Amino acid sequence: MMGLSDRLKSGFSTFTLVFIAVAIVINIAVGQLVSLLKLPIFLDSIGTILVGVLAGPWAGAITGLLTNLIWGLISSPVAAAFAPVAMVIGFMAGICARYGLFKTWWLALVAGVVITVFNAVVAVPIRLYMFGGITGSGADFVTSYMLALGRDLFGSVVITVFTSNLLDKVVSALLVWGLIKALPGRTTSRLSRSEATLS
Amino acid sequence: MNIPEQSTTLHVHGESWTHRLHPLNKLAYILLVGVGVYLLPKGWMIACLLIVCNLVLAMMSGVLGPLWKILWRTMLPLLLFMIPIHGLLNPDNVTPVFTYHSISLYAEGLRFAAVVLVRLAAVITASLLFVLCTHPADCITAATQAGCSPSVAYLLGSPLLILPAMRARAGVIQSAQRARGLDSEGHFFKRMKALKPLVAPFVLGALVEIEQRAIALEVRGFNSRTVATSWRVLVDSKGQKGARWAMLLMVVGIIVWRIVG
Repeated sequence: MMGLSDRLKSGFSTFTLVFIAVAIVINIAVGQLVSLLKLPIFLDSIGTILVGVLAGPWAGAITGLLTNLIWGLISSPVAAAFAPVAMVIGFMAGICARYGLFKTWWLALVAGVVITVFNAVVAVPIRLYMFGGITGSGADFVTSYMLALGRDLFGSVVITVFTSNLLDKVVSALLVWGLIKALPGRTTSRLSRSEATLS
Repeated sequence: MNIPEQSTTLHVHGESWTHRLHPLNKLAYILLVGVGVYLLPKGWMIACLLIVCNLVLAMMSGVLGPLWKILWRTMLPLLLFMIPIHGLLNPDNVTPVFTYHSISLYAEGLRFAAVVLVRLAAVITASLLFVLCTHPADCITAATQAGCSPSVAYLLGSPLLILPAMRARAGVIQSAQRARGLDSEGHFFKRMKALKPLVAPFVLGALVEIEQRAIALEVRGFNSRTVATSWRVLVDSKGQKGARWAMLLMVVGIIVWRIVG
């Protein structure tokens, strides 16, 4: 497997680069689009997962990283602190696709769970050590409930991160599966990994 | 890259000393602040000092107003959750400082919350100084001059340019689907079902455009091997370079000291 900098120097075609740039914008704008429905999900990694699946793990990781860094430029520096989490989401989406987890809708559901687990592995330390377990969002109610039940801070944060992301990541993975099915062949044929999703 | 002055980012136009600093110096400063307040002993005291220092710098650069506003917008929800949750429920709580009926706020939790908040505020003010006082185009120029490939510059710059158009399109899709009777008020599963008709046209529309954008780039010589001439000139003096390396050395020093000590 090539390293990140090697991939950036030689590995990406112009098409993949534009795909990553557009996916970053999708990540940022889709939240505003679905805010209308007032659902407990943020869908801020649809673009990242899409790139991971269609253009490979490293492309997915770069999409995640840059999404959060650009978010830091346009709204709040807190998003930049979670850039490693977004990277792992894209990377794992790519790995899941490589092992055929985006072939059917129920496999995509499994991929959503796998992504949630790896998301937690990276998000928990950041949330715990940098933010003292609290990030000022609705998910903090879960943390306080768990603390009130007598759990330690680490356990409470693990449960919070897992539960608050599970629905979001599973729905994102399912949406990505559906979107890839709906994409015209002319577009998917330009992307290196699209065969991984065709059953 | 030509990014419009009234862009989507938080950048505030200005000519101050902080504005003119090399972007990499400002990034090194954020790194140093982060490492310092989290890894040094009594990091919270350093953090308090740095907050004051950052606020003074912001005032001198004429960005105190926006910085103060964003700082509070970020810190207020954290404050509101952090203080009661840790004050009441932190597992290390033993010494009550304030009791009302049977509910007590504890010293240990409050101290923990205060330390976390002060450290965060130091890092956030330092990052905001960077974000508010650095033109996005300067970041991109700095990345290119530091030896990153034009792909990196493209990936940093173009999302900022595409974003306003995509946001407008999101608005159009919202109103179009609502006009067609999309249920955005019903119960949970009805609203879940409404996700796809909102997301699919938005994402598919964006993806189908990729090919055109890629061709547009290629015909403008995006893959050319010659070094492009930059429109923007970044001032980088010997002193600034030295300061940058000194800050990075301090970061490495603190990390090594922390691992060894």
